[in-house]
Amino acid sequence: MDLFLQTLVNGILIGGILICLTIGFQLTFGVLHVIDFAVGGWTMLGGYTAYWLVTLAGIDPFISIFLVFALFLLIGRGLGPLIYHVRTSKYARPDLMALAFTFGIFLFMRGGALWLWSYNSRSVDSVLSGQFLSLGPVTIPLMRLSAFLLAMLFSLGLFILLYRSRFGMAVRALAQNHDHAGLMGVDVKRVSAWVYGIYTALTASAGVLIATIYSVNPSVGVRYTLFAFFVAVLAGLGSVGGVLVAGLALGLLEAYVATYIGARYSLLIVFGTLYLVLLVAPKGVLGRGI
Amino acid sequence: MNHKFSRRKFLRNSILGTGAMTLGFPALNVNAQEHKIRVGVVTSLSGANRFGGNLTRRGYDLWAEEINKLGGIEIEGKRYPVEMFYGDAQSRPASGADAAERLIIQDEVDVLFGPYTSGVTLAVQPISQKYRVPMISGSAESPNVWLAKPAFNFGMIPAVDLTTDKSMVVLAENLGDRAKTASVIGVDEPFSKETAEGFRKGVEESGLDLLSYELFPAGSDLSAIISKLKSSNPDIVAVGGHEDIFINFVNTAKALNYKPKALIMHYGVTSAAFMKETGAESNGILGVSVWTEGLPYKDELFGTASDYSELSFSRWGTRPDYTEAACSASGLVLQDAARRLGKAPPWDQGTRAELAKAIEDTDIETFYGPVGFAKEGSHYHNNTKPVPAVVQIKSGDVVPVAPENASKGELVYPIPGTS
Repeated sequence: MDLFLQTLVNGILIGGILICLTIGFQLTFGVLHVIDFAVGGWTMLGGYTAYWLVTLAGIDPFISIFLVFALFLLIGRGLGPLIYHVRTSKYARPDLMALAFTFGIFLFMRGGALWLWSYNSRSVDSVLSGQFLSLGPVTIPLMRLSAFLLAMLFSLGLFILLYRSRFGMAVRALAQNHDHAGLMGVDVKRVSAWVYGIYTALTASAGVLIATIYSVNPSVGVRYTLFAFFVAVLAGLGSVGGVLVAGLALGLLEAYVATYIGARYSLLIVFGTLYLVLLVAPKGVLGRGI
Repeated sequence: MNHKFSRRKFLRNSILGTGAMTLGFPALNVNAQEHKIRVGVVTSLSGANRFGGNLTRRGYDLWAEEINKLGGIEIEGKRYPVEMFYGDAQSRPASGADAAERLIIQDEVDVLFGPYTSGVTLAVQPISQKYRVPMISGSAESPNVWLAKPAFNFGMIPAVDLTTDKSMVVLAENLGDRAKTASVIGVDEPFSKETAEGFRKGVEESGLDLLSYELFPAGSDLSAIISKLKSSNPDIVAVGGHEDIFINFVNTAKALNYKPKALIMHYGVTSAAFMKETGAESNGILGVSVWTEGLPYKDELFGTASDYSELSFSRWGTRPDYTEAACSASGLVLQDAARRLGKAPPWDQGTRAELAKAIEDTDIETFYGPVGFAKEGSHYHNNTKPVPAVVQIKSGDVVPVAPENASKGELVYPIPGTS
């Protein structure tokens, strides 16, 4: 029973990290209709930036996460028009062009990281690293709990931004139809660029949390790209609300499979589930929509 | 005789003459250098494994520098200097194979020193076999390299399944009645899996109860695995993996309030990066090392293991690890085999095959330890003689703690603060 409860906690907390990682990815798909294969790259760079801020300036990740957010918001905002340009270009399949373009960005980031940091893994210490709460037989790592709470905070913030602001209204209008939104006075290009900025900022912030919990190296991006894609499909591509359910479901599934069947089979079962979801409910758990 | 001057003929003869001279020069050059032994090094000088690749190069180069200070390798009373040629494998097996072929065909090397990783070694050894160029590999640790029964490749470091196997036996003997149970986990990829399987074999050989053996995909979240270990609380936990998994294990275990009584990993724990990333948490962690500077071995060229360490430190500015040591010892093997072969370079294909046979018959003592290659079985041409030392991290220092002849400090068990 103790192990069962511990697994429940482990699963929920893993789910929090996955939510953090995927929520921006969903927004980008919802608005720009781009499956961004650079998601793992942004995560990796977020982790490395936090590492730099800790080692060079001694800034704790809980503070640096805001700096990383701001920095990547600007980077993403700068790159946004380019993504928009590719996505709306007159190629026969601009969606595939955009996908290939983001994959190119990912490869560039991975190559750059290998060049800069070699393969060495880096981990980032925080004031909460190694701290835990003991609730009877269950141990709750504070770092993971913080990641979970932050994921909830990001979700709430995104919800408020989308449903309680004029900018959010414009974003939702874009998600419905770019042309119509443009006709109603929305600056489609500018809003799309900011959406890409918000996405990169959220994903890089997730990278900061990942670096404090696990470690970061140039290869981690591949795994996180896969997970972001999985959660997004399970959630329903474009459904921000679905990410909460899908992230938790995946976290729990992975934790229980690893504990009771074997960690060796967790990816097999996780991706088997993805296949079933695509067969049975291709729109994901909460359908598509912002 | 009436010779008519032909401009066309003159031009043709001039071109032919110049061409012949140009083509002939390299041959003259080779003839001028025939008194040298040409050694090709294929290793990862760029790419993901460039750090380790450069460690191998340091080891090989240090030997070349030292032997050349004496005038070179002694054969039948005459010394032949060593000339090194390098081929960058770029951390990719296919590039390693290409580099080996270039070294053999263009640079006409007499012998090869092998790559950093087992993957590249597996790609290079068919090339060495094809051209019948003996290769001495100072680094490859995967048993798969030797399962292929390479006729011309010889490995200095015992395969990882042997080192982890023996280290677990050494550890269990040292702990005696204090340890009765063990669990082994490892990443489900070739090197890490072989490491974990070696640990498991060692657990079985030493009579410990194996509570669990589990492999997991690279990059997995370790909280489930650590929760299970915490629940069963074995006396020894062994982890097969690379540095990133070790860091994740230590960080996740700390976050889940779990500290095993004894935690043994492999080579990565002795790296500066591991200790830096895990800080005080690395204290007490055990590792496996094929060689340390404290071992009681010596030879005529490098002196004792400690002398070698000093020499390497003064040359490169960092203390050598066992990879560097094994690479330097590769040169000692070549020296010994060339002396026994008794034939002056350059060596043709037939002589190189004789050299390979001489290498196969190696039986020497070096600063790195005893060297002798298996002539049959699943570790064919692998140096199976060294007994690995169990090391323990103590306040940032790597201290050999077992076996007795290598020990420089007491084995701390259980680690203070264990669960």
